[in-house]
This record gives sequence, C-alpha cells and structure tokens, in this order.
Amino acid sequence: MSTGDSWHPVGLSHSIEAGSSAGTRLFGQELVVWRDTSGIAHVWEDRCPHRGMKLSFGFVRGDHIACLYHGWQYDRGGYCQYIPAHPDLEVPKTFKVPVYLTQEQGGMIWTTLSGNPPPLPIDRDQTVPLRSLYLDCSAEAAIAELGAVRLMPLASRVLADTVVHRLTETLYAVSTGDDRLLIGIQVISETRSALHLTICGWPKLYEGAGQSHFLDWALQLRRAIEQPRPRALAARGATAENS
Amino acid sequence: MPALVLYNYELDESCYKVRLALSLLGLDWQPVAVDVFPGKEHLTPPFLAMNPAGRLPILRDGDLVLHGTEAILAHLARAHDPSGKWLPPDGAGFAVVMQWLNFSARDLGITIAARQHSLFDTPGDEAALRAASAQAIRIMDDHMTARGFARAEWFAAEHATIADIALFPAFALSRDFGIDHDEYPALRRWARRFRALPGFKTMPGIPDYH
Repeated sequence: MSTGDSWHPVGLSHSIEAGSSAGTRLFGQELVVWRDTSGIAHVWEDRCPHRGMKLSFGFVRGDHIACLYHGWQYDRGGYCQYIPAHPDLEVPKTFKVPVYLTQEQGGMIWTTLSGNPPPLPIDRDQTVPLRSLYLDCSAEAAIAELGAVRLMPLASRVLADTVVHRLTETLYAVSTGDDRLLIGIQVISETRSALHLTICGWPKLYEGAGQSHFLDWALQLRRAIEQPRPRALAARGATAENS
Repeated sequence: MPALVLYNYELDESCYKVRLALSLLGLDWQPVAVDVFPGKEHLTPPFLAMNPAGRLPILRDGDLVLHGTEAILAHLARAHDPSGKWLPPDGAGFAVVMQWLNFSARDLGITIAARQHSLFDTPGDEAALRAASAQAIRIMDDHMTARGFARAEWFAAEHATIADIALFPAFALSRDFGIDHDEYPALRRWARRFRALPGFKTMPGIPDYH
C-alpha cells in the first residue's frame, strides 16, 4: 500500500470527543488527531515546533490545542497564537505546525499526506461506530483475514455468505445479507496496522444490541488474526515432520 | 490528628489509589511520608511490623492498621461512605466491583512492575513487561467499549466505584512505562469522565491541565 495520494483513516470519529486529542502513526509518521470544541476534527504533525514535544500529550481549549510542555497554543490553521511566557508577544507566522487535509466519512476520520488528493469516495450512508482493532501485522496480512470469521446477521434468521468487498485501497466492507460493516485500513508501520470498523445503517437500528453483536465478531476477528488457525498449525506440524 | 493516617510515598501508584479514594470521599486524613526511594524505609522493622510483605500503602484508622490496596479501598468505602455508592452493598454491583478489584490486584500487577522497572530500574525484561501490560490495559479497553454500547460510563455500576479508582492509575500512568493512550479510545473517554469527578487529584506523571 502506498503513502501516495490516497486518503487514510486514522480513527473512528466517535473515538475523538470534542475537546480531546490522541496520537497515532501513518506509515511511521507521528500524527495528532484532535477535535476542537466546535466539533471539527484536525490531523497534524504530532510535534510542537518549540521543543519537539508531542502535541497529543497536550490539551484542547476552544479552537486551540496547547502543548503540555510550555503551553504554546495553536489555532485551527496550525499557527501559534499565544506563548504564555511572553503574553504580549505577537507570535511570528513561522511558528507553525504542519497540518494535513482532514475529512470525516463513514464514521471515520480521514487524512492524506498529499497536498492534492483525489476526492474521498462519497458515502452518504449513515454509520454506527464499532471498534478500532490495533494489530501486530502488516495491513496486507490483516486484509487477507477479513473473511476469516463468519459474520452473523443481526436480525435476519437466514444465513447468508460473508462477503468481503474492496471499495478502495484503504476501505473495505464485510457484509452478510442486509448487514454491512465498513472497515478502514490504516498502515501504522510495516508491521503494525489498524482496522477501523463501523456499521452501515441507522443508529436506531444498530445502536446498543447491534453494536454488541458486531463487537463479538470484531473481537473474534482480532483473535483469528493474532492466533494462528488450527489449519495453519497442522500445516506447520506436517512441514516439521517432513524436514 | 484525624483518625485516618496514610503511610504514603508520593510516586507510588498504589498509594495514589488510596489518596484518590480519600479525596473523592471527602475524608479528613493525615499523610506520613515514607522514604521508599532511595531510603527503603518501608523495609525497616517498624514498617515490617505493620505490613510484613514490605509494601505501601498502609492505612491506620483508629486502632485498625490495614495493608493491601484493594482492602484499604473497600474498608474506606464501607466504613466512611454513607452513600454506599463507592462499594455497592450486595448483588451484581458488589460482585462486579470485586471482580475488577481482583483484576487490579492480580492482572495489573504487571503494570506496577513495568513502571518500577522504568522509573527505579528494578530488574525485569522491559519488552516483556510492556507487552504484558499492554495486554492487560487492552482487556480494560475492550470492557469499556462494550460498556459504552450499553450506555454505561463506569466499570462496574451506573456510577463510579472503587473499581474505577483501583483501575485508573495503571492507565493514567502508562506513559511512564512506554505505553501511549493512542490505541485505547474507550479508556480515554472513561479517564476524561474520571478526571471530572469532584475531588479528583493528580500525581506526578499525570498532567494537571491548566
């Protein structure tokens, strides 16, 4: 998967409350994801230009994020607006944090490291948040397992096949019958990845019992990815006997 | 002198759990500072007489001298919380609080070992301690994710209990032993609620936002 001009999910929208921040990585690059108190999400380089402290350790006040180290405050554009040790200083425009394009879609926060990305595929579907799974494997290895656990429909008693669809390089869907989960693929590094899961559909249909139902599937999927399947173990055993 | 005396070391997360409980319950208490590092005062005869296991915290409540963090939390809640909320008296509320106190005493012990290794250079395999600690913290995040789907904000009841007090420091201090909060969204949400409780106090390693 290329860093290129794609959009990449960096978390569920639900996971970043208004007035809060969290760190993450994309292709090894440290990012801070934060939401101002008006509800707008931002993705920036996770580094205060002053002394290199992670901004994700800091705190959000209104439409500013402040560094925990010396309290330097940055506005939505990434420009430093206030330095507590020099309250009367008009801060030079050069004190700026690199900011990345940020959008929310499918219940996820998306960013791109490119300045000129293609449009994010339009998806007007309502979604309900499920879970982010953080995994000690490559994104490719995680994608290969998406069909490993049968997805049970929430309401329908008719068993349908579990189908994995590739929507874009970084967005998959797993569906069964009328139920459909969106899975955003985040490359944290070559050996670590995240799957961001949401349920397509109306909140009144899926909130509560529906979330619990599909959380079980998500945790089974995580186990399937983390623990070698019996089939794989058997194959390995056979190889050992032959050698 | 108040009836409640805590033999306390500021940097000890188990002492912090008791300080949190005393503060959240709004109790009048007196600390006695113990020189744990580098003095090892908690291993001297007067302290071993109070807790032969050689660990803090130790609480004195009148004639009662009590050690064991979770026991102290349970005692404070039962004896000094007229509302009965911090330790529900019976039923599933009581049972689930006990389950998480047990998790705190047993499974989160690894996070204490990881932090002591990081801060005080106690023996241990850093990578193994960190991996096992991350596993324990993830169990908490999975639980709070499921609780969120049931519209519940706390570990064991509809309100904060001593289970939340016992579990908070391992997460809040995890950066001390190299585990960031990035991958635990349900615990971030819970910790924000916890920090807003009346009487909440920080300790070194837990930022006091200003």
